[in-house]
Amino acid sequence: MKKQIALTVNGVKRELLVNPQDLLLNVLREQLGLTGAKYGCGIGECGSCTVLLDGEPILSCMTLAVAVNGSEVTTIEGLLGSDGSLHPIQESFLEHGAVQCGFCTPGMILMAKNLLDKNPHPSEEEIREHIRGNLCRCTGYTQIVQAIKEVSLTRKA
Amino acid sequence: MTKTHYHAIGKKTVRKDGLAKVTGQEIYTSDLFLPRMLHGRVLRSPYPHARVKKIDTRSAEALGAVCITFKEVPDITYAERIVTIPQKTFKDRHVLTDHPRHVGEAVAAVAAETAELAEKALGLIRVEYERLPALFDAVEAMKPESIALYETIFFGQEELRVSNNVAATREIIEGDIEKGFLESEIIVEEEFRTGRVYHAQMETKSVVCQPEADGGITVWTTTQTIHNVRQLLGEIFKIPLNKVNVKKISVGGAFGSSIQMNSVVPIGVALALKARRPVKIVLTREEDMVDHCKYPSYIRLKLGAKKDGKLMAGHMRVIVDIGAHNTQAYPLLGCMAGWWVSLYRLPHLKFEGKAVYTNKVPACAMQGFGNPQVTFAVESLMEILAEILGMDSIDLRLKNYVGLGETFWGQGPTVRSIIQSCGVEEMLLKGAELSGWKERKKTLEGTIRRGLGMARGFHTSGAGAPMPGEVIDYSGSIVKINEDGSVDFMTALMDLGGGTLDALAKIVAEELKVPLEKVGISSVDTRTTVYDVCTHATRGIYCGGGALHKVTAQAKSKLLEFASRILQAPPHALKIEIDEEAGQGMIYVEGVPGKRISVGEVAKTAQINNWGTIAAVDSLRQVNCPPTFNAQFIEVEVNTETGVIRPVRAVLCSDAGQVINPDLAEGQLYGGLYRGLGYALLEDTDYDKETGELKNRGLFTDFKMLTAEEIPRLEDIQTYFTHTREPTGPFGAKGIGEAALNPTAAAVVNAIYDAIGIRFTKIPVTPEMVLKALNEKRNQG
Repeated sequence: MKKQIALTVNGVKRELLVNPQDLLLNVLREQLGLTGAKYGCGIGECGSCTVLLDGEPILSCMTLAVAVNGSEVTTIEGLLGSDGSLHPIQESFLEHGAVQCGFCTPGMILMAKNLLDKNPHPSEEEIREHIRGNLCRCTGYTQIVQAIKEVSLTRKA
Repeated sequence: MTKTHYHAIGKKTVRKDGLAKVTGQEIYTSDLFLPRMLHGRVLRSPYPHARVKKIDTRSAEALGAVCITFKEVPDITYAERIVTIPQKTFKDRHVLTDHPRHVGEAVAAVAAETAELAEKALGLIRVEYERLPALFDAVEAMKPESIALYETIFFGQEELRVSNNVAATREIIEGDIEKGFLESEIIVEEEFRTGRVYHAQMETKSVVCQPEADGGITVWTTTQTIHNVRQLLGEIFKIPLNKVNVKKISVGGAFGSSIQMNSVVPIGVALALKARRPVKIVLTREEDMVDHCKYPSYIRLKLGAKKDGKLMAGHMRVIVDIGAHNTQAYPLLGCMAGWWVSLYRLPHLKFEGKAVYTNKVPACAMQGFGNPQVTFAVESLMEILAEILGMDSIDLRLKNYVGLGETFWGQGPTVRSIIQSCGVEEMLLKGAELSGWKERKKTLEGTIRRGLGMARGFHTSGAGAPMPGEVIDYSGSIVKINEDGSVDFMTALMDLGGGTLDALAKIVAEELKVPLEKVGISSVDTRTTVYDVCTHATRGIYCGGGALHKVTAQAKSKLLEFASRILQAPPHALKIEIDEEAGQGMIYVEGVPGKRISVGEVAKTAQINNWGTIAAVDSLRQVNCPPTFNAQFIEVEVNTETGVIRPVRAVLCSDAGQVINPDLAEGQLYGGLYRGLGYALLEDTDYDKETGELKNRGLFTDFKMLTAEEIPRLEDIQTYFTHTREPTGPFGAKGIGEAALNPTAAAVVNAIYDAIGIRFTKIPVTPEMVLKALNEKRNQG
């Protein structure tokens, strides 16, 4: 039996019919066409599927869509400003060569947003600790950490 | 270094695919959804070695699923990696098999309306297996009494008997090693072992296949080579190549895992052809982990030297456990010999290599193609030798390295070229200075002990050479100048994330003197491009970029010819420069005011006058494969209570010739360090000898990789690029990628030795190994 749920996705209210066993990741990708969140492992070990749920990062590959009924979901597609401008974290990732294959990038940027929203000036250790659950096989993390750090440095206190 | 005035080359710019990647708009294979698309799943053998006695798909079909088994796929033995010339290619694979030789080998597949239904159907296929004895050790496998995993395979068109499960052997002799060792005053010998690492590219192997009305097929897949995928599909399914179209699509990392046409591709095509509907298969992580891995190695290395450190002779014996399929281990062994002999001058040498079948996951190329394995052994043994000689190991390296003017084997014994640019000395000296090499002190006390280690290495830039060898290596491009002065280029060359295509765009911009933002990288497929062999062997910039440079120069000749008609001056009197204000390339006659026209105006005038489009298409085989050298100085902390090793500092030196994308080149060094540290300290795949399964069960939970927390801090990683230019490369460039990992493992074990006085010859060096060795040392005490 399908269930009706209501989600606010990237600021837009959506009413959706989902199976009780449907994962949020698949609902986002297949029903809403938001393919920025990726399947990397399906068991919450790689962080490629990270989205923000009411501002907090969750692993959408392990989250049932019905369980988040009524929540606000932010995906990478929802980070642009209303005028289409990039979020400072997106700018910084581009500026610092923090993007290679790009597959982990959406999850990584959303983790960074969550960190900087809570703690505008994190230490390098805090940045590393915060993104340790998001795997990147290309970059070695150095330029990602640098990109996040630079946003915090250039932000007004 | 020659003084250069480049407007694009060497400038830090935002990568062209960056915007799409940071906004989630970049499309990967798994992101494709086509109308009427079915979801495919693959049935895999639960046994390491078995025969399928019976297979029944009726219940699955009753659910509405389309099913295929080994009976319904073309009966063709193929090789998934066709970088090697056909007559030297070993073939032992089938699209689906009734004789699985490793856990996870595909025997059947289904496609259904939803992924869930496909999964359900998969569970309803009944298979009766006859289990066969399985082999998990290469030495064991070579014993005459061991079961034969293959009776015969194909070598080119010929059927070849396999004896003692040996898939390939290679013996290479130069000089007379007996004489060489007799003349040596010091001989060192050691055994080394390296792990069976999983690529762990973030995107699992995937495919989307769309059957076309004309009997053709369109394919999107995770690959490093669209043209080789096309050719193999044409061969297997007997479809003319003009009807097999492989579309280029972004890849979520590769590291060698998609140098071949992945096994999921022909399975997807077979399903789509039977269903007459598009089919998508995205491997689960568990499936991906049983698809391929890095070649593990056992290396026995013996070196002889004079007391002054001059190397006299070397003998390397290699055994590689290739797993269940031969993904071209013959060139691997040749390359391993080549990596070895190109590190240090050896007047007398002998290489003996064996590649052996077992019932494990098939090994294939992974960053370095045998080079990290060989460099680990050589750079460990050089350190041992230096200590015995009482020499600084950097001096020993400087005395013996293969450098400028000497012969280098870029891809085994048949691909040789002369080194024309070399930054080895600069890197060793500068790296020593930056890392404090000379001032390092031994402190063998306390719980946390620090040690500094170094190692050097290199990788080839492609597989080009003056003579054709065993490896196909050329690229081709199309360049087209538009009527507003912007430029499109088309290449089949893949960008695996490193920024290769940005480098190529800069080559076009620089040659035509047009602004970088006016150069567009076209979306292409196999129909609209000329052949490019593959993005492998660190060949993207040097070979792919070299070909594009040649084609751009041809388009430029045509541009200048048209401009000469307009300006009424001979083409060779014309110059071209970038006009930032106009955002255009400008063509002018030097010293003649008024004789000036933009690139766009020339193209537009050519169109209005019906002269034609300014475009060119051509191919290029590079006749060199310049080594991209590097050196790494790595400091570690060893916790003697927990055995945990922490890399705390790194100086990464690279001789990539002219650097084209500075920040992305740094990214290659950081990424290589990261994967090299994992190779040295953590990553391996063990097997349950009873079940033949991976002990990690294909899960990231148990295939551990380093995270952002275990990497040296920002201020503790330094990069250094040498002031070299490769005369044969596009704008002086050579490759960089694979070299960045090759010396890391040796630098780490050398650092561990510096810290605790214990030499490890097997990687990864786990905390358990450290504690065990420390205990043994104490007991000997």
